[in-house]
Amino acid sequence: MRELWYLVRFFHVVPPAPSMMTGTFAVLTLASSIAIVANAGTATGALVPVLLLQAFAAASGFVLPARRGHFDLLFTRGNSRTAIAIVHWASSIGAGIGSWLVLASVELAVSGGARTTLIASGTCAAMFLVSTLPWATTVALPRFSGGIGWLLLAATLATTFSSPVLGEWTVTSTRIEDLVWPAWSFFVYPVAAVGKRLTLAQFLAVIPALTVSACAMVIACRWIAERDVPLEAAQ
Amino acid sequence: MTVAVSVRGLTMHYSRRLVFRELSFDLAAGQAAGVVGPNGSGKTTLLRALAGCLTPSSGEIRINGLTPRDAISRTGVGYFAGEATLPGSVRAAHWGSLGAADDVTRESRRLRTLSRGTRQLLGLRTVLARHPLGLIVLDEPWEGLDPDAGRWVSTTLETKRDRGAAVVLSSHRLHDLAGLCDLYVFLLPHHVTVLRAHEIVSVGPVTAEHLAGVFDRLRGGAMLLRATS
Repeated sequence: MRELWYLVRFFHVVPPAPSMMTGTFAVLTLASSIAIVANAGTATGALVPVLLLQAFAAASGFVLPARRGHFDLLFTRGNSRTAIAIVHWASSIGAGIGSWLVLASVELAVSGGARTTLIASGTCAAMFLVSTLPWATTVALPRFSGGIGWLLLAATLATTFSSPVLGEWTVTSTRIEDLVWPAWSFFVYPVAAVGKRLTLAQFLAVIPALTVSACAMVIACRWIAERDVPLEAAQ
Repeated sequence: MTVAVSVRGLTMHYSRRLVFRELSFDLAAGQAAGVVGPNGSGKTTLLRALAGCLTPSSGEIRINGLTPRDAISRTGVGYFAGEATLPGSVRAAHWGSLGAADDVTRESRRLRTLSRGTRQLLGLRTVLARHPLGLIVLDEPWEGLDPDAGRWVSTTLETKRDRGAAVVLSSHRLHDLAGLCDLYVFLLPHHVTVLRAHEIVSVGPVTAEHLAGVFDRLRGGAMLLRATS
């Protein structure tokens, strides 16, 4: 427990995401909270910028600061590398998760418990995806790479196809051929699921993306646990 | 003699590039080893392998009988690779608080705004504040330090060594190593040599001049390091 606390303290001192990012989350939370208080019906839209920012915050990059020697104090302390990876991830997404929870609480409070779109299953699935996949894919890349890559993919698909890749997210049946496109659509633009209570068909459509994301997390953690960490300057 | 660090046939590569090969030495608890060599000879690579951050290409390293990665959770290991490894955006006092319960510094400025020597000293104090330390591995610890800070480092290392820590240091400043080490590892391109202090000079302490002489001889009379600057 002491070692876990040290890891949390370390990544508080050496935050994976820049402090400006935390400030931006604070500003977004405040602005979105005001919007929700003014009109609880805007809660879904108010969460979207938080989700977009979360994709960038999560894409914090691990290997580059490690190869600059920033984490040497941890590596030579005897902490489990897997624990280091998990706490690094948790520290990367902490501000975004905090922002989401605040907005969900504001929505609940304003609506007297009647509206729960920000804790609906679709919202949780979208938040899980944007909090995990960018981190896992950016482990060995420069900071924000995962977020930038995702944004480019989404923008490219949105401008290339006339089909409703973004925004609309309809799942008509549980047949596999009917699920492929919605599954891909959720993977590329999870924001479309925000506020939705997933039906069985929609749930089946989000499962592949969530599975890929969870597998990517496991692979990234194992990779961090097993890889050597040479210094950039010593090669 | 209790062997704290045992290195056997250690060879290190980066991809296909050979850094050094067939390095072997034993270091007991309460002894210090100095690693000497020109830039790019593999000093940092050797120290990083000892600290468990790199896996040997072949050969083995044992610290108290365990691989470095297993040993660091049981043996207190203090490792510092120089001020360039400190994250510049962190405040000095916050970084210092990661070393031990005691305040290492109350300096509130960010690390990037401090002088090189101040950062180096802070990094060293943070690492050396841990207690107990069974193995200390420092990469050019005197680099950038003023004379007072340099003396503090030497005195602290002597104290830790005399209390039973094994110490491995790399430095170009031979006069600092000479007063401190029982064993010298000379890393030269394609050639490694390990000499105990009594093999360098049979009577009296090893001096910087002795080390420079050995180094010079091993390099075939090539350039001296910054021996006694």
